[in-house]
Amino acid sequence: MGIKKVGLNRTVQPQTLKEKVLFLDFMKGLRTTIKHLFRKVITVDFPFELIEPAPRFRGVHGLRNVDGTEKDDFEAWVKKLKIKPPEPGETRCIGCKFCQAACPVPEIFVIKTEKLDVPEDHPYHGLKVLSQFDMDLSKCMFCGLCTLACPTICIIHTDIYDLSTYTRNGWVLNKETLSKIADDFIARRGKEKYDDKSNWPDWQKIWDDRDTARAKAWDNNPPRLGPNYADQH
Amino acid sequence: MSWITLDKINRLKEKFDFVQVNENDKGFHSVEVPKENFKQFLKFLKEDPDYQFKMFIDWTIIDHGEKADPRFQGILILFSPEYRERIIVKTWATDETLPTLTDMWAGAKWAEREAWDMFGIRFEGHENLVRMFMWETYQHHPLRKDFPIRGYEEVELPSLNEEERADQLEGLQNYSRMHTALPTMEDIEITQRKRLPKKKAQIVLNWGPLHPGTHGTIWFLFDMEGEYVQQCDIIIGQLHRGVEKLAENLNVQQIIPYTDRMDYIASINENHSVCVAAEKLLGIHEKIPEKAKYIRTMMAELSRINSHLLWLGTYALDLGALTMFLYTFREREKLMDIFEGITGARFTINYFRVGGVYADLPYGSLDAIEHFLKDFPERLKDYETLLTRNRIWLRRNIDVGIITEEDVYSYGLTGAVARASGVPYDLRMIDKYDAYGDVEFDVPVGEKGDSYDRYLVRVEEIKQSVKIVQQCIQKLRKMSKNDPFFFEPEDKKMKITIDGRGTKLFKGEVYAGTDNPRGELGVYIYMPKDGIKPYRFRLRSGAFYNLQIFPKLMIGRPIADAITILSTIDPVVGETDR
Repeated sequence: MGIKKVGLNRTVQPQTLKEKVLFLDFMKGLRTTIKHLFRKVITVDFPFELIEPAPRFRGVHGLRNVDGTEKDDFEAWVKKLKIKPPEPGETRCIGCKFCQAACPVPEIFVIKTEKLDVPEDHPYHGLKVLSQFDMDLSKCMFCGLCTLACPTICIIHTDIYDLSTYTRNGWVLNKETLSKIADDFIARRGKEKYDDKSNWPDWQKIWDDRDTARAKAWDNNPPRLGPNYADQH
Repeated sequence: MSWITLDKINRLKEKFDFVQVNENDKGFHSVEVPKENFKQFLKFLKEDPDYQFKMFIDWTIIDHGEKADPRFQGILILFSPEYRERIIVKTWATDETLPTLTDMWAGAKWAEREAWDMFGIRFEGHENLVRMFMWETYQHHPLRKDFPIRGYEEVELPSLNEEERADQLEGLQNYSRMHTALPTMEDIEITQRKRLPKKKAQIVLNWGPLHPGTHGTIWFLFDMEGEYVQQCDIIIGQLHRGVEKLAENLNVQQIIPYTDRMDYIASINENHSVCVAAEKLLGIHEKIPEKAKYIRTMMAELSRINSHLLWLGTYALDLGALTMFLYTFREREKLMDIFEGITGARFTINYFRVGGVYADLPYGSLDAIEHFLKDFPERLKDYETLLTRNRIWLRRNIDVGIITEEDVYSYGLTGAVARASGVPYDLRMIDKYDAYGDVEFDVPVGEKGDSYDRYLVRVEEIKQSVKIVQQCIQKLRKMSKNDPFFFEPEDKKMKITIDGRGTKLFKGEVYAGTDNPRGELGVYIYMPKDGIKPYRFRLRSGAFYNLQIFPKLMIGRPIADAITILSTIDPVVGETDR
């Protein structure tokens, strides 16, 4: 800890007469630029070549469906909120609105549940189902607070980043679209991001190290990924 | 912690019988002075050898609500470079007026204009009390408590969708047709005239608001005699989004994503400020898990490297060295990849939380950072070979925009701008927040305070940041994967959550901040009672106060120096405008 003094005549010497006359400062600069001339290209040829976003990347949202990898307390939450027990393939959303409560811009969400219209002796009498789940992504900051608030890991961020549309209406995603996005994402990259209890595992990588497009940005010499901590394997 | 001791405050009370001491259980004691004695008291504080509070930090207002009488309270924060202490001086603004402080601290000029703009407080004796962010004909004062958060919707402004589909808009697309007031061309002309009331020379040159050289939407007015600037003024506010007003209606974790959008180049550091301040208010800043502390320090320093690389690239680009821009962006790309992998976003990061971070480091992140650091010093050497002793670079930078030590104190300059003038003001050293007390690093200090010194100081800061990151990695390697990264309170009264639902703040007030690449971003939180939403959330922007010295530096200089001076002051408009 200390103070380091910098300045001309302190850490930098002024130009000598020799340097001034022979233009040595320009020569040195030119040597650097010429050295860099022979490097390989580092830019990615978008859209013909795509970098795969990192597993944690916060892209367009998705709503996960029941697929047997729920958390242990999933059924307890379903019971608590009087939701019809979902079949495999149905949404995990229990209509708790925690995502809306955590969101800095709560107007994004429109979440509604409705009671099932079944006779009184039916086992599902008095239970609710999710009827509407709209998200207006034009207002979204992609801060990720909703995904952290979700008790059933239903609302997630996927790796989709291109959401431009011709009308503002295209940014409003309903629950069917969100489900489809999540299904597609889980099928492609679910194993990378979640373990079999939907938690973020400690093997979750910073990014896919076999991604050749990303390797280009790292001068074709990408880092070899290893464990962070002493007791990690 | 760098705060004035109760001892010293009590001595003030003995000397002046009008001084009222507010004790604070967290150690942030403040004094309250009546308006009549305010200037006299401040003069004593500034000049007395036992106090020497000569550095201006912040000067703002709290609105205590419509029913309170008196309603507005002035909050002045000062720093004593001699004793490394801060003090808060408060005074009541009876009749909605306060005495001006511009004759004691030049930095108060913009602070008072902002207070007039946002709260409608008149400062008696201010030379040109015009609005800071809003246009001159705007009717309201937005930070007053009776101003609704959505604003007064006065103008009809149909959206594009309505043009297309008329009245058939439903659900989330059914926007209100009424919009808050917008400035017309006339309003803007009036604003411009008021800023430079007396034309001195022949021509007024407008630079900006949309010019690549201004690095954002800043509008400069140069009153010019030939090539030389006689008078200069800056119109900012084009990017004003009212973060302080928004923050008063959110919980503290929800404010963090908004701060991402302030200094968007170093958003990690902006998040850091809010976390550090809120933790100090809750009294948990020493209980944050070790792992979270080191991760935060490491990420903040990587962000500083990232920000300085962008500064170096665009600065050289402005002065005509296009190659540098491409070289620094290549290294920046790697840093952005690291941020993306660890936090989930490349730019607007939102990784830090009050109480720690939101997730542990993913597999391989320390390796990636080490890999980046391995050949980074070599790259840095390349940059320096290109610039540091280049004759064009020397001619365009040396003796341009000299800031003296007096200016630093008077204008409240912070960050690299202050350090280049020989003032070792660095919150990392003074406050030692997070792990900065445990890592070794030097604070680079310049000699003359010209543009060249600011360049050298920032380059040296990059090197010191590399050193800090390496030490953090070594420390993190020794930790266990099961160590906590988020603080779980044992106290039943305290509630902190990662997602922010129900995160509570305690009664009291706090001023704390972090040393960002663009100066000190201080956060002042005032809570009259326990609650979720902060009552007053003041962001003391380093870039805002640093930019204030620009008109002074420009007087008598040729117009070409505007680029050099602006680049080395390095404001980001998102932060100046908030």
